[in-house]
Amino acid sequence: MSGTPMTGSSMTGSLTAFPEIVRLTFRQQLGRRRTLLLVLLAALPPLLALIFRAFGEVDVSRFTDRVFDLVSMTIVLPLATVLFGTGAFGAENDEGTILYLLAKPISRWVIVAAKAFAAVALSLVLTVASVLVAGAIEVVPAGSAGVSATEAYVGAMVVGSLCYVLLFLTLSLFTRRALVLGIGYSLVWEGALSSLLPGIANLSVRQYALGVADSFYQLHQQAARLSPTTALTLSAILIVVALALATWRLMHFELSGSTD
Amino acid sequence: MSAGNRLSASSPSGSIFDLGYRHYAGKRHGRWYAAWSLYVESLRGVWGFGRPMSAKAAPFILAGLYSFFAFLQLAFSSTLANEISSGQQVQLFAYDSYFTQFGFLLILFCVAQAPEVVCRDQRYQVLSLYFTRAMGRADYALARLASLATALFLALIVPMIALFVGDVLMKPDTISAIGVELPKALPAIPADILIAASMASISLALSSYSPRRAYSAIGLIAYFLLMEAVPAIIYAVAQQGGWTSADKLVLLTPITSLSGATDWFFGKALGADYPATLGADTYVVACIASVAVFSAILLFRYRRMAA
Amino acid sequence: MTAQTLPAGDQAVAAPAIELANAARWYGNVVAVNDVSFSLGAGVTGLLGPNGAGKTTLLHMLAGFLAPSAGTVHVLGRSPHRDPSVYRQIGLVPERESVYAFLTGYEYVRFNARLQGMRNADSAARASIARVGLEDAADRAIGTYSKGMRQRVKVAGALVHDPQVLLLDEPFNGMDPRQRLSMMDLLVEMAGAGRTILFSSHILEEVERIGTEILVLVAGRLAASGDFRAIRALMTDRPHTITIRSSDDRRLATTLMADPAVFAVELKENALSVQTAHLSAFRRIIATAGRTAGVRLTEVVPADESLESVFDYLVRR
Repeated sequence: MSGTPMTGSSMTGSLTAFPEIVRLTFRQQLGRRRTLLLVLLAALPPLLALIFRAFGEVDVSRFTDRVFDLVSMTIVLPLATVLFGTGAFGAENDEGTILYLLAKPISRWVIVAAKAFAAVALSLVLTVASVLVAGAIEVVPAGSAGVSATEAYVGAMVVGSLCYVLLFLTLSLFTRRALVLGIGYSLVWEGALSSLLPGIANLSVRQYALGVADSFYQLHQQAARLSPTTALTLSAILIVVALALATWRLMHFELSGSTD
Repeated sequence: MSAGNRLSASSPSGSIFDLGYRHYAGKRHGRWYAAWSLYVESLRGVWGFGRPMSAKAAPFILAGLYSFFAFLQLAFSSTLANEISSGQQVQLFAYDSYFTQFGFLLILFCVAQAPEVVCRDQRYQVLSLYFTRAMGRADYALARLASLATALFLALIVPMIALFVGDVLMKPDTISAIGVELPKALPAIPADILIAASMASISLALSSYSPRRAYSAIGLIAYFLLMEAVPAIIYAVAQQGGWTSADKLVLLTPITSLSGATDWFFGKALGADYPATLGADTYVVACIASVAVFSAILLFRYRRMAA
Repeated sequence: MTAQTLPAGDQAVAAPAIELANAARWYGNVVAVNDVSFSLGAGVTGLLGPNGAGKTTLLHMLAGFLAPSAGTVHVLGRSPHRDPSVYRQIGLVPERESVYAFLTGYEYVRFNARLQGMRNADSAARASIARVGLEDAADRAIGTYSKGMRQRVKVAGALVHDPQVLLLDEPFNGMDPRQRLSMMDLLVEMAGAGRTILFSSHILEEVERIGTEILVLVAGRLAASGDFRAIRALMTDRPHTITIRSSDDRRLATTLMADPAVFAVELKENALSVQTAHLSAFRRIIATAGRTAGVRLTEVVPADESLESVFDYLVRR
């Protein structure tokens, strides 16, 4: 009777699948304790801004160095992105629920794109809001320098969220220790080693973000080592390569036969 | 099914068969032995012994990176000795500043390994198996803590030994060089014990609050990074704002405080980035207090934990 | 719509839904599936074997999550490996229990429907939930479900798009006997509608109830396939056990003992248990024995015609 397979090769499922996977990922990533931890993290720059105000400190460059650069850029951004980036597939992999996604007639790149979209969106909301609120409290009242400093770091958060999330998401598909590797990358590679070996700037998301921020707002930053165009080009390459690698990985996904 | 029913007509009877299993009639070791066993097993676990190669990668790479520069100096000690004897000014890694320079690598060691030590037992809900043995909850927590502290101490002391050997080899007269170098190197032992105890207690206390290794790791790194940065930032602002007692905030930093305490052990003056108002001994007190506080948090956590 | 038996008689209209030809899969030096060939058409087939026999590996190959190391695997005429479009026609119920704990049962099934690109996802999800009998719990988070309910919601998710081929890995784990029965009824009903259903199990009574078709996997190799009663009949070198009830068991026992075709007679409560080598010979013997002893036979049942014994035999051979 109905033994004939319906060999539909077009994948119409992909259109409806994208928003579904995005929504699923939002709900996965916003567990109660996670959200609390992340909100506390993101609230820190605004809190510091309040403390700066309370002590009557109004110097824009000092606030930029100490809060935007030290806290937002090197602590809040890497931690938020490593959590969202590795978490996008992390729980699915740990629990084995990734099978429910993969056993569907959806192009693998759609799955990667949806997961990445959700993780980037969450990271953007968190980091950009954090910088905006902190800036509005402390430096924006100080005039145009304060405005452009805030804008510059909003730009850095956008580029940084995109690049870091994709980097960590792809990493998590290749190794179980992606989280520690990601933290190590930001702390050792981008932090300690890049001051010893200047060439590392070309392979540092932090430098991409700072370079792009610098380009848009002409802010004085001795921290930015890459020219704006280089930073943008390298960011674009990183995003494309990460997406391609993640898709390749899902296409070649193999289960081990053992049942734990 | 059929064999046992052959005698069904006779009155109900039962018997327990001796299948030849041997009973243990010997002496049973008590809780100390149990805790010691857990300590040894756990210490091996931190370094990935008895586990697959992939479990050894993180601890050995991170500890290796921490020792790397000391071994580099050891490897080039003959070249360095030549340069020194030819009157060149050579900047060497020293016992008293090594941790200050590379301590952040040990933060990573804690972030990677502390969750391994305590999270799995919670995740797979096997704690009750420990607590029904001779060992109590506090014994469990302290054995785990001691194992991580020992692992950290090993990671800390290995580069010190490398530096010591290098320094001795650089001198022309080995025997007298040992006499000169040993007093300089020895304060590393109490300093490293304090560092190991402090970092281990902070790491385990925080890790034990989540059964998922990923969250533990994130929580830990967030604590270490933020507690380094935030008190320093507030201190800097508050100083300008005229809040004089803000210097005490620096005592909350985990790594900066440990560096300060190390300076006290080596009898070295504190650097310029430390508040001038606090002596090096204050940091020793602060670090010992932190060990006590975080160990108490860890014990409290395990007393309350449902197992 | 004849339920095709294996090996597939080829005058059937469609190609077999599942076809393995010398398929093998190894991990390093460990062979999980070794040179397995069979083909399945519509109907329910049980995949049996002790733990570690390679059942999960075989199902994962069929589901496209493992490439065969040698040989070929075809589902609906296509190789499922690296071809996501094949999932339009496959429903998979994996062994692991975990399902998104934060979704409700309904949301989970609807999610599966949406990922299948179904326009009528809402009604399809409701219908699928109803088929597994989870209506009452549909709006509760899966995290609050019992093991049996989780299995059922996984099945609901796997059949929401009415797949041609349904692969289930240990689907009855954690279900209570009543849930098992209704799940079995559901599978039989789907098979009746022309679907191909392959489920794995290490509990043999599960298989007996549903389908007569079995595949027995032992240490990665296909040890037997076909109707399990037929397989049992092929194993002549193992004695058959037969339970007999009669008006006078003791008397019948002494008569039977005299016959050389009877290996052993055992007197049980209200019944006799007899072991014999040849079923057909025994049928004649029992009739004569009853007459000579003057005993009325009330029941003659082959006691060990259960999969357990078949399985035992194949594993030990």
